[in-house]
Amino acid sequence: MTLPILPTTVVGSYSMPGWLERLKTEYFARRISRHDLDEIHDTAVKADIKDQEVAGLDIITDGEARRDNMIDYFVERLPGVQIDRSSKKFYYDFYDSVVQGKIPMASLGLVPDFKFLQANTEREAKICITGPHCLTKRIRNQHYPNEESLAVDLGRVFNLELKELVKAGARHIQIDEPYYSGFPEDLPWAVKALNAMVDGVNAKIAVHICYGNRYGKPSWEGSYRYLFPGILEAKVQALTMEFARRGGEDLDLFKEFNPPFQLGVGVIDVKSHDVETPDLVAERIRKALEVLPPERLFILPDCGCFHLPRDVAFAKLKTMVEGAKLVRAELKK
Amino acid sequence: MILQLNHLQGKAAGATQEVIETLYAMLAEGQIDQSEFARLRIQLDWLQYKKNFREVVLVTPDKEPPGVEAPLLHIQVDTRQVAPGCLKPAMMRAMIRHKPRRGAELPEENLPLEEFKPFRKSIAWDFNRLYWHRLKEWEVATGQGYEKALPGGQSDANHPDAVADGVADFWTLIRDLDAKNQLPPEIFLMEIGVGTGARCGLFLDRFHALDTQRGTNYYSKLRVLLGDYSLQTLDRSRTAVQKHVDLCSFVVLDAINPIKTLSFLRHKLLHVHLTNVYDNLPNDELLRREGKLYFIETRAFLPMTEVVRITEKYGLPIEKTRTLVTRLLEGGPDYLGDYDRGMGFWMEIWDAMRLEERLVPIEEMVDTLPPGVDVAKLEDILQEAPSDFRFHLSSGALESFSNTIPLLYPRGYLQVQDIFVTDFNQYRLGFHGPGKLDGSIVNWVNGVLLREVGERAGYDVHFAPFHYRQGSKTSILYTTSRE
Repeated sequence: MTLPILPTTVVGSYSMPGWLERLKTEYFARRISRHDLDEIHDTAVKADIKDQEVAGLDIITDGEARRDNMIDYFVERLPGVQIDRSSKKFYYDFYDSVVQGKIPMASLGLVPDFKFLQANTEREAKICITGPHCLTKRIRNQHYPNEESLAVDLGRVFNLELKELVKAGARHIQIDEPYYSGFPEDLPWAVKALNAMVDGVNAKIAVHICYGNRYGKPSWEGSYRYLFPGILEAKVQALTMEFARRGGEDLDLFKEFNPPFQLGVGVIDVKSHDVETPDLVAERIRKALEVLPPERLFILPDCGCFHLPRDVAFAKLKTMVEGAKLVRAELKK
Repeated sequence: MILQLNHLQGKAAGATQEVIETLYAMLAEGQIDQSEFARLRIQLDWLQYKKNFREVVLVTPDKEPPGVEAPLLHIQVDTRQVAPGCLKPAMMRAMIRHKPRRGAELPEENLPLEEFKPFRKSIAWDFNRLYWHRLKEWEVATGQGYEKALPGGQSDANHPDAVADGVADFWTLIRDLDAKNQLPPEIFLMEIGVGTGARCGLFLDRFHALDTQRGTNYYSKLRVLLGDYSLQTLDRSRTAVQKHVDLCSFVVLDAINPIKTLSFLRHKLLHVHLTNVYDNLPNDELLRREGKLYFIETRAFLPMTEVVRITEKYGLPIEKTRTLVTRLLEGGPDYLGDYDRGMGFWMEIWDAMRLEERLVPIEEMVDTLPPGVDVAKLEDILQEAPSDFRFHLSSGALESFSNTIPLLYPRGYLQVQDIFVTDFNQYRLGFHGPGKLDGSIVNWVNGVLLREVGERAGYDVHFAPFHYRQGSKTSILYTTSRE
């Protein structure tokens, strides 16, 4: 499928509706069976896909409705990582997880998620996976000599999964690493772990780096300057970054360092419920075009739409698509 | 008949006997019949606040769906106000007003000042607003500063040890951020509800001294916002922060919606402090009875005897009482012609004002719930709560909280000194408002709901006792960011 110039996509998650939150929590209270919850998730994912299609996105995800949060969906699947299932009050809380031995190589079972997405859309599909640095910051390490060794080993396990996904047809893969911004000093080994994860994976791989979106609020503030030059070592094709809420000042870093990556430019502020106008979106895209040519840009929100109400998330995606169309039209002239 | 004794203190419990005797006498005299008697629900309270909105006897009918044969009659008695011999006539008046009987002499009408509505929208809050806007005039008229009305006669906000500890906490945060190179170039902090400005002045004095002593140069980076909805209060606070005025901005804002005024500071404030603000924000109450939730609607009224007395005293036409109240609330005491007369009218009307109540099933009031709360969440939260109790919804406090936390910097925190209920069971152990404090309204704040709403918004909400003044009922709420 040919993508238009300035293709649009989401960062990963779509809006998590209140009713689904309650049903997930019901499951943890053992009032809903796993089978029923799986059916509920399938239905929710189909709705998420439909909304993204109707909004007009070019590359879509499954909306991540199956995930409680960006950590637990993966630690639950990681062999050798133990979790305390009583440690959650709400479904959205993080499990207390611990690694006490070497993590064995095993499938994480993400392929069925991707196949479900593929089966329910004819658009380009993207799968998003939390990266090894982020997971290392959440899993208590009682085995590896340091965080770097754990992260690199996680990268090795995920590498197998990415290759399975590619075999299943995945062409767009996004790795989420929001904790880079909170721990800039980790960047050298974090990139090493990232490279272990993507080694030999034949797909278009983007790394998403933002300033956090837990509970719809930033976890840190600062400048993306910390990424450079360290991130230039990353063996990925694209970075996706948060610019709508924070302003476009850091776009100049792409001029200064001329990294070899494409840029997924965040043009929708997901921490505000105010819906942008297409003109504002277009303005943000034009600002990015001052730094990079259109063929190196793709358009997305600052981060996942998880915390936005459904109607707001949909309206924001729609306006993002309209803003992208405005700029595409200008580029054709 | 169900008799519920709530938080009675000392001699107040003696009124129980009088209540029982009164009801049996009314039964014997045929003023209530046996079936009504059986369906009475009598609640005896001891109201903490000497000045409040209750009559000695308050009858609250249930608003049950059609077809329910004989609704319960809910009668609340304030035992603190029970004087010998007053109970029976008060009980008769209240019940007859609720359900007039053939042949019975109708009691004089009250003068309603509004229709039934959620309490947070009541005219009572217009009086509260007038008080804060015209505080100085009230203080001149009463001859004492508003802090004198507080328990202990002074605001806990200004306790030097509490302020010093507050500075130490703030210092720790900015030092940690600095160590991680995450300290923003401008350090924003804000106090909402500034009172005399004394706390802010003390805070800045202390901060400046520490900064000088340690040579850290944080002080000059401070950007201090003093926010209040009363311009008069803000003007007054300026004197207290005079030494630091170059760092200060004085912002007129609504404590219920700070982000509306300060949206440009979203995610920028490292610290927000409030003292005794939440307890003075519009509030609603809910009643949980036999597992069902009811919203309590109120209607402010004046007892007719008081209307007659006050209008005669000030030589005002009785038939224009409501118009005069409206004029007072719109334009202040000056608008009643003679200023002294206007002040007197204001203070006496406020003193006389009472609230009547009616219960509305919560399902009919879902649109009135504050942000972060819906019926399903309430039911979740109430799972561990008593099955029969009345509690605050703290609508204004929840709204203020929800509209303040988006202003916080990622590691920023909110600190609130106030009177909090931190466990639903506390509602059964004492009366928590609404009461009158001078010309303002006071309610304890439902800390349980704040904690729940906070958790869902990404903040753990903690409460620490205010240990700086013996006997203080104040607690300190502070937030920490949830992982």
